Amino acid sequence: MPSEDLIAGKIGIGTTVRIAWRNLARSRRRTLLTASTVGFAVFLLEVLTALLIGIERQSFDNLINYQTAHAKVYAAGYFENRDELPLNFTLTSLDETEALIRAVEGVAATTSRLAFSAQLSDGVDQITSIGTGIRIRGSDSEVFRIKDAVVDGFYLEEGVEGMLLGVSLAEFFEVKSGDYLTVLLKTRDGAYEALDLEIIGLLGTGFPAIDRNGFLLPLEIAQEMLDTRGEATEIAIRFQPSAAETSVVRRLSAVLGDQSNLEIKTWKEVEEDFMALVEMKRTAQGVFLSIFVIMAIVGITNTIVMATYERTREIGTMMAMGFRPSGIRGLFLVEGALTGFVGGAIGTIVAMLVVGYFASTGIDLNALYGEIDIGYPIKDMMYPAMSMTLFLVSWVLTGILSAIASLYPATRASRLRPATALRYV
Amino acid sequence: MNEAELAARVRNVTKTYRVGNLSVPAVRGVDLDIEKGAFLSLAGPSGSGKTTLLNLLGALDTATSGDIWIGGHSINGLSNKELADFRNTNLGFVFQTFNLVPVLTVIENAELPLQLRGMTDRDERRDKVEKILVEVGLGDLLDRRPNELSGGQQQRVAIARALVKNPTIVLADEPTANLDSETAREIMVLMQAMNEKFGTTFVFSTHDPLVMEYATRLVLLRDGKIESDERTEPVQNAI
Ligand SMILES: Nc1ncnc2c1ncn2[C@@H]1O[C@H](COP(=O)(O)OP(=O)(O)OP(=O)(O)O)[C@@H](O)[C@H]1O
Ligand SMILES: [Mg+2]
Repeated sequence: MPSEDLIAGKIGIGTTVRIAWRNLARSRRRTLLTASTVGFAVFLLEVLTALLIGIERQSFDNLINYQTAHAKVYAAGYFENRDELPLNFTLTSLDETEALIRAVEGVAATTSRLAFSAQLSDGVDQITSIGTGIRIRGSDSEVFRIKDAVVDGFYLEEGVEGMLLGVSLAEFFEVKSGDYLTVLLKTRDGAYEALDLEIIGLLGTGFPAIDRNGFLLPLEIAQEMLDTRGEATEIAIRFQPSAAETSVVRRLSAVLGDQSNLEIKTWKEVEEDFMALVEMKRTAQGVFLSIFVIMAIVGITNTIVMATYERTREIGTMMAMGFRPSGIRGLFLVEGALTGFVGGAIGTIVAMLVVGYFASTGIDLNALYGEIDIGYPIKDMMYPAMSMTLFLVSWVLTGILSAIASLYPATRASRLRPATALRYV
Repeated sequence: MNEAELAARVRNVTKTYRVGNLSVPAVRGVDLDIEKGAFLSLAGPSGSGKTTLLNLLGALDTATSGDIWIGGHSINGLSNKELADFRNTNLGFVFQTFNLVPVLTVIENAELPLQLRGMTDRDERRDKVEKILVEVGLGDLLDRRPNELSGGQQQRVAIARALVKNPTIVLADEPTANLDSETAREIMVLMQAMNEKFGTTFVFSTHDPLVMEYATRLVLLRDGKIESDERTEPVQNAI
């Protein structure tokens, strides 16, 4: 049986595991020490990865809920120049286009928005910020979850003339709901406009673009001020929760394909800079944690080296009995793997308990960091992801890596001459 | 002597160890025919090459030159894996320091060669092993670990482990050197009994004249060469 010969000679995997296990039990202290080191590394790996996954999921949810929706439709040319918040690439016939989009399978809701650059002023200070006109009726809150982010005052209601202001901006101006700020802007034709607006509510989304320099106001007021009646800069789309993103996007492209003046962008494309940053952080954390795990696993190499030296004469005896080189190698590979599996199991169990606890209670970011920006658009509470795949994969991988870590000493042992091994004292 | 009656044939065998750039000639041209059923004692002063010759006969080491046949099969040029299988099928070993696998029980130690041979039927295997263990007087100690046994008991396990596979030859390098004289005698009597009962060929080395008394043939080594080779009348069950 060639596959069995690969690691167990003719002895079979069952007996190999039994002997390896008893040898580990024989040097219990050393086994536990090595396994604990591995366990600690696995624990760190799993907890930090669970945190990262959790933070990412929350960030993505927040992005979608507060800023990007699942996808956006722009007039051709807008997306390229979106940083300048231009007013010369706008969408018209909003109701017709929205109706067209809503008819696509997998689309849950749509809404039109008008984004523009403006100055906010309290008469003393003035600050450049991003204004967004949103539909109150029929309606922005079907696509976005801005309502949930109101931390002071109320959400906009029909007929109310006022704005929702980012919390950090409010702090800057030292205003609260009920106070007034002046909105200053330039219309598309270059004329200056100013309007005093009451602050209806404050928004704390955890999303800097809103909290630090954003304000929201009814679409009609924005259109009126900018002299862009009936126009919007984007149509935001929310998908059905069950819908597969890529296939909805494909269907949308097909429907909108006839209209060459429209562009569709998914939330990942809209936030491509953020996604690149996320990718970078993933890689950085991956590298950092891999170094940790590799260091722990080198401990296994060391332990197996010691075991092969201690048991040199025993190896000679086994060879005399007829253990093939592969059988000897298998014995030590399995010892290494078992150590890894035991350590991985310890680390994983503790990690599951810790992650499980914080996944339900959450971690209070303010208590941890105060108001410091952690570089992800999340706020107040952070929830690590209780991912069984993560735990299972990292446990199994630890065992496999541990076997690989034992490959060198195990192979060295298997190449001993029986006579030499038997002479060893 | 007829080829078929030989347990081992050694022709012109030398073994030179290399230590750094030093050559240590340990066996220097040995010719030896060992007939089936022999109870052969290798004697000779320390450093005369007894262990080296036994290792060569046991396929535990390779000769520098010359040829060795065990049970009619040449062991020259076999790969490590083939040598392992060859030892498993044809050769039994008894060591001065007993060399049982410490994490295995008496019965597990004794059945290891059969497992290595691919005998997967546990009941059949245990049946066979138990019979031999009873034969060597360990019927009551099957589940003990080696460290729970006396030296004599450990050596009995080793003998059972060697015999369980019906080897062509059992090679025993100073099997009694770590035993008191009374126990040494018991072990020799046991080996002799097994030799007579199963016809298994035994080759053992010793310094002890009392142990040599059991041999049917006494080969004396000196400086890696055979100095004398004579048939002797063994003492019978001198217990
Ligand atoms: N692995 C080795 N490397 C180098 N020299 C060795 C090795 N094994 C044995 N020798 C040398 O070869 C010679 C024969 O040694 P061997 O062990 O075969 O003798 P012996 O008859 O078994 O001796 P003793 O009665 O002391 O066991 C000695 O000079 C010994 O030093
Ligand atoms: Mg010797």
